[in-house]
Amino acid sequence: MEMFLMAAVMSLLGVAVCAVLFAAATRDDRGVTTQPARQAAQDRQRFFAAAPAAPPRAEATTKEGTEPELVPVEALLLRIEQHIRLEQAAAEAFLHRPTDESLHSRTTSRLVN
Amino acid sequence: MTGAHADLLAGLAEEEAAPVLALGSRIALSAGQVLFNLGDAADSLFIVESGRIALTLPLRLRDGQQDVLIEERSPGQALGWSALVPPHRFTLKAAASIDTEVLALPRAALFEHFAAHPAVGYAVTRNVSAVVGQRLQVLQTMWLREMQRVVEIRGVRARSVT
Repeated sequence: MEMFLMAAVMSLLGVAVCAVLFAAATRDDRGVTTQPARQAAQDRQRFFAAAPAAPPRAEATTKEGTEPELVPVEALLLRIEQHIRLEQAAAEAFLHRPTDESLHSRTTSRLVN
Repeated sequence: MTGAHADLLAGLAEEEAAPVLALGSRIALSAGQVLFNLGDAADSLFIVESGRIALTLPLRLRDGQQDVLIEERSPGQALGWSALVPPHRFTLKAAASIDTEVLALPRAALFEHFAAHPAVGYAVTRNVSAVVGQRLQVLQTMWLREMQRVVEIRGVRARSVT
């Protein structure tokens, strides 16, 4: 009888330890998956006012879809300068023939698409 | 550089343009050398004689500040019209993209010449007005397009919240 009780207590203790370990492991996983997503949103808001509500871009995430893309400053500068050139061209086209359509024509700029 | 090749002197006869150019002094810039910085006192107007001048604005990116190219000026084109418009402070940074030579025309000498030759002053002022007006219209349009994007984005946000 004593042996049986001891085995039962040991089994319960083992189950309890496993449950604690499982809960701890599950809680850690949730933290890892949500934190980068929140961080990505904060990063986008910090760079450009236009970026946060823009449609999600494929380039903004990795294949796993959890981490923000880290664009080198030089590449970002090139993208900004290309955006300025495209917008200047669009503005000049509007001034050449001013219409509502030409004023709000869509841009192919990667900075805002 | 002759008057016929400088946009600032468009419409002037050669004998009218030459005395204006004679007011200037040449400045040689090596690639990367700064002609003026944003906020500097604007005492001279410049005409690019050779090379290229990059006009940039500072933009804060991440933890640093970067010069973003706004426009480039090539031979015959003028820059630095802040020298003619109060409060006479440059609103952009200008630096040589490659080895460049510019002609610096001091404001005081220009105004003195214009006072003595009003027809020349009128023609130059009209040319400067064309440059300033065109840039204003372009920037106004660009600003409107950006505002439209901001409005659209705010609209999307408002819908997503409610």
